[in-house]
Amino acid sequence: MSDVGTPPIPMLDVKELRVSYGARVAVDGVSFRIERGEIFGLLGPNGAGKTSTLSAIEGLVKPQSGRSLIDGIDTAQHPLEAKALLGVQLQSSSFQPELSIQQIASLFAGLYGVRLTTAQLADRLRDIGLEAEAGRRFKQLSGGQQQRLALFIASIHDPLLLLLDEPTAGLDPQSRRALWQRIEQARGAGRSILLTTHSMEEAQAVCDRVAIVDHGTLLTTGTPADLIAKHRDDPKVRAVAHGEVTLEDVFIGLTGSEIRD
Amino acid sequence: MTERPAFGLAMGALLKADTLSLLRNRTSGIITVLLPIILVVATSFGEKKIRLLGGPDLIIGLALTVGLLVSSLLGYAISLAQDRHAGVLQRLRVTPTPTWMIMASRLIVQLVVNLAMTVIVVVLGVVVHGLSLNPAQYALVLAISIFGAAVFLAIGQALVGLVNSLSAVNAIGRILFALLLLLGLVGATGILGDAVKAIADWSPVGALMTLFSDALNWSPWSDQDTFALLVGIGYIVIFSFVGIRLFRWDSK
Repeated sequence: MSDVGTPPIPMLDVKELRVSYGARVAVDGVSFRIERGEIFGLLGPNGAGKTSTLSAIEGLVKPQSGRSLIDGIDTAQHPLEAKALLGVQLQSSSFQPELSIQQIASLFAGLYGVRLTTAQLADRLRDIGLEAEAGRRFKQLSGGQQQRLALFIASIHDPLLLLLDEPTAGLDPQSRRALWQRIEQARGAGRSILLTTHSMEEAQAVCDRVAIVDHGTLLTTGTPADLIAKHRDDPKVRAVAHGEVTLEDVFIGLTGSEIRD
Repeated sequence: MTERPAFGLAMGALLKADTLSLLRNRTSGIITVLLPIILVVATSFGEKKIRLLGGPDLIIGLALTVGLLVSSLLGYAISLAQDRHAGVLQRLRVTPTPTWMIMASRLIVQLVVNLAMTVIVVVLGVVVHGLSLNPAQYALVLAISIFGAAVFLAIGQALVGLVNSLSAVNAIGRILFALLLLLGLVGATGILGDAVKAIADWSPVGALMTLFSDALNWSPWSDQDTFALLVGIGYIVIFSFVGIRLFRWDSK
C-alpha cells in the first residue's frame, strides 16, 4: 500500500507537555515537532524549562500531563522502546569514575545492544580523536574531549534522534566549532537533533529551526531568519536592538533583560 | 537501531562495568577483605584470648559479619549515593536498560564479592584457628553469608532510599556501622542488661552471629536459629521495601 497523502510521522512530537516540581511549574503546555533530519534548538534563559522538557522526553521526570512520541512511539507507554531510538547527552555528563574511556564506551555499546570488538572500538575512538585517551578516566579528559566522548556515547547506537543538553557549554571556540561539525555530520547521516543552548551564534549556525521558551512556555518557533523577520518590529525587540535586529535581540526582547540564576 | 537491546548483552555489560568499578575502588575492596582477615589473624595469638572472646567459631562469625557489614552496608550504600550524586545513575537511566537491571547488576557483584570474602576468611580461619569443618558446614556458611549480605544490602538500600545527600549517607552509614556492630557484640554479652541483650539478639549483627556460630559449631538446629532466620527475613523484606519505594535516582 502506498502512503501517498499520509503526512510522515515526525521524529519527535511533543504535545501539551506539562512538568512540575511540587508547586513550581517548570514546563507548561509545551508542544513542538521535529522532522526527520532536522536540527531543532530550544533557546531560553536559565530556568526557562529547557532541561525539564528534555528530561520528560528522556523519561527522567514524569510529566504531569501531555505526551511525547518518538517516531510514533509513546515515551510513557513504551519507555524502553522509545529510549532505544534516542541518543542522549545530559547537561553534566557523568560516567563511572573508576572506568577507562574504552570501558565506558564498551559499557554503553552493550546497553544499546551494539556488539563492538576491541579493534572496532579503537577505530571509533580514533574517529573522534580519543584513541590515545582510551585508557584514561573521564575526569582526566579536557572539557572538549569530555563533550566529544559524551556525543560519541550518545550516538554509539546510531539513534534516530539525538537530545543534546547544552552540548557546547564551557568549550573554547575551536572545540565548539568541531562539535558543531559533528552535530551537522549526524544530521547528514539522517538523524534528527534536539539541542538546548544559550548561544544565539550556535542556534544560527547549526539549527534549522529554533523555539524560544521562557517560564515553561514556548514563546515562538521558526527558522532563525523567520524569527528575526517576525519580531523585528516588536517594540520590546526594537528597545534592546543595537542597529540591525539579531536573533539575540529577539531572544532578549521576548524573555526580558533581567539576569536569571 | 530501533529495537530494544538483548537482555544478555546489556546485563553482561553492566556486570562487567560494576565489577571493574568495585575492583578499582581499592579502599572499599581492601577494607572489605582486610578487616576480617586482621580480626581472624590478630585473635589467633593465644588460646586464652580466643576463649575470652567466645571461641574460634565466634571469632570467624564476627569476622564474616564485619566483612559483610563493610561491604554490603557501607560499600554498597556509599557507592550508590556517590553515583547518584555524580549523575552516573541518570546517565544509565536514559539508556533502554530497565532500572531493575541497573540495581540487580550492582547487587549481584556485591554478593559475589561477599562470597569471595567469605571463602577467604573461612579458609584462613580454619588454618589459623585449627577448626575442622565438613563440606556441609562450608556450604551452610556460604548460604548464611549470602543471607547476611542480603540483610545488610537491604539496610544499605533503605539508607540511600531515606537519605538523599551523599555526605549524610556517608556519615549515617558509618554511625550505623558502629552502632550495629557494638549492639551485636557488646549487647550480646549481657553486660548491659537483659533488655539490651534481647535487643542485641534481635539486631542484624546478633542474628547473623548466632547463625554463623551455630553453623561453624555444627550445633543442632535450635529455636534461636529459627528466630535469627525469621528476624533476618523480616529485615530483608522491610528494608528492601522502604529502600526501593523511597529511592530517588537523582540527588537534586
